[in-house]
Amino acid sequence: MLELAGLKKAYGRREILKGVGVAVRPGELTVILGANGSGKSTLLRCAMRLIEPDDGEMTLCGHDLRRARGDDLRRARRHAAMVFQQVLVVRRRTSLENVAFGALGELPLRRSLSTKLFPAELRARALDSLDRVGLADFAAQRAGTLSGGQAQRVAVARALCQQARVILADEPVASLDPRAAESVLALLADVAKNENLGVLVVLHQPELARRYADRLVGFFEGQISFDRAPTNVTDDEIEALYGNDDDER
Amino acid sequence: MTTNAELSTGAATAARLSWGRLRKLVLTVLIAAVFVHAWTDTHISVSEFFSSFHNLVRLVGEMFPPSSGVLDSSIHAAILTFDTALLATAAAFVIALLLTPLAARNITPHRSVYEITRAVIGFLRSIPLLISGLLFLVVVGPTPFAGVLALTVETVGVLPKLYAEAIEEMDMGPVDALRVSGARRTQVFLHGVLPAVTPTFVGLVIYRMDSNVRSALVLSAFGAGGIGFLLYQSIELFQWQQVGAELIVMLVLVLLVERASIFIRSRIS
Repeated sequence: MLELAGLKKAYGRREILKGVGVAVRPGELTVILGANGSGKSTLLRCAMRLIEPDDGEMTLCGHDLRRARGDDLRRARRHAAMVFQQVLVVRRRTSLENVAFGALGELPLRRSLSTKLFPAELRARALDSLDRVGLADFAAQRAGTLSGGQAQRVAVARALCQQARVILADEPVASLDPRAAESVLALLADVAKNENLGVLVVLHQPELARRYADRLVGFFEGQISFDRAPTNVTDDEIEALYGNDDDER
Repeated sequence: MTTNAELSTGAATAARLSWGRLRKLVLTVLIAAVFVHAWTDTHISVSEFFSSFHNLVRLVGEMFPPSSGVLDSSIHAAILTFDTALLATAAAFVIALLLTPLAARNITPHRSVYEITRAVIGFLRSIPLLISGLLFLVVVGPTPFAGVLALTVETVGVLPKLYAEAIEEMDMGPVDALRVSGARRTQVFLHGVLPAVTPTFVGLVIYRMDSNVRSALVLSAFGAGGIGFLLYQSIELFQWQQVGAELIVMLVLVLLVERASIFIRSRIS
């Protein structure tokens, strides 16, 4: 579904990614654990070419992302959606509009100049996506007035409306209280299973990761130190990712 | 007992302190010299000001009672000045919206496009308003149209720069989310960038409108039509009561626009 192989990225002499490879499979929730600055977010951004990697291969649903240009890249990206660290929705638009934005790439330009021009079919699909994350009642509410957890659910609904095959989430629960964090993780695990999506999540909460992930990937100084089922990962191995810096967690 | 090492450390600290003091002294003298030069260069004379202050008082006295005979023409000219500023601001706003996506580093299609657009905007900003005003007076004749053109040029030199800076400072998360979802550049701008910066854009254009009204007053004195021109003529003819009436109308116009600007910006924020 999403295959990353040999990804390298350096800023000057500082190597952030040192030849990283991760596979995101359908129906699986994969969690990346690692200290701040270990390169997890850079990996996600390189995977979608929001940052250009220096080397490596990225294949998304059969599309070679590394070599795609212009419209090809845009079309290939439509198979993936991103949920970001801060709660990132367009605050001055309604929840429904934010969800419909996931399908902007499939609309002709003239139908996307204003949200009023969006086709009725897209509105119906956006409402259905909101319903699947339990927020149908909030469709007309401005996104800026939603709670952090609700806004992250809107971001997930946007991915569903986009009909993405892969969701990449960069610390999606970082700014949420424990209860909201739990519900967002449960939702991501749920869409992975029920919608058969590949979900890759960067997290800082090992307990949550153990509970919801199908696979844990340990990230340490730009390299992968383990990639296996949570039951096969020891607490010591997770502890080693964070070194002595307790603040990182 | 003081050791040799402590003595040498103390000497180094003292040398650093005296060097620091010397630098401060040189800097102070330099700044003072710049101010003294500016003072003499502009022939400032405090005694002259106070000795001729009675002239100002006399002039203001002669403006009262303001002439009511020029009230109609003054109001008409004030509206013309407002129209000049309004059209220039509107034209510049549209041009700014087209230039801004090219001039913001984080959304520009290419680095070279960014550099060229910024250079054009910078060039327009470098032309003084009075110079462009005089040029357009020659090109299109002494009409308010020349004022509209000059003000448009000046505003296009300012608005896209401020707009681009607002975009460069915005949170790129929603924009990245739309880019990843496969949205086109125009779609990302319309639905990711614009909603986030609209209050800033509107606030800035209202502020520019306020400032353009005042600039239009000055331009009109140079022949671009408007209340500034009437004022200039009245001063030339020593018609101080007319000057009084025209100044009052001008003051009312500036205050009204300023109040409206403050009100609209407070509503937006």
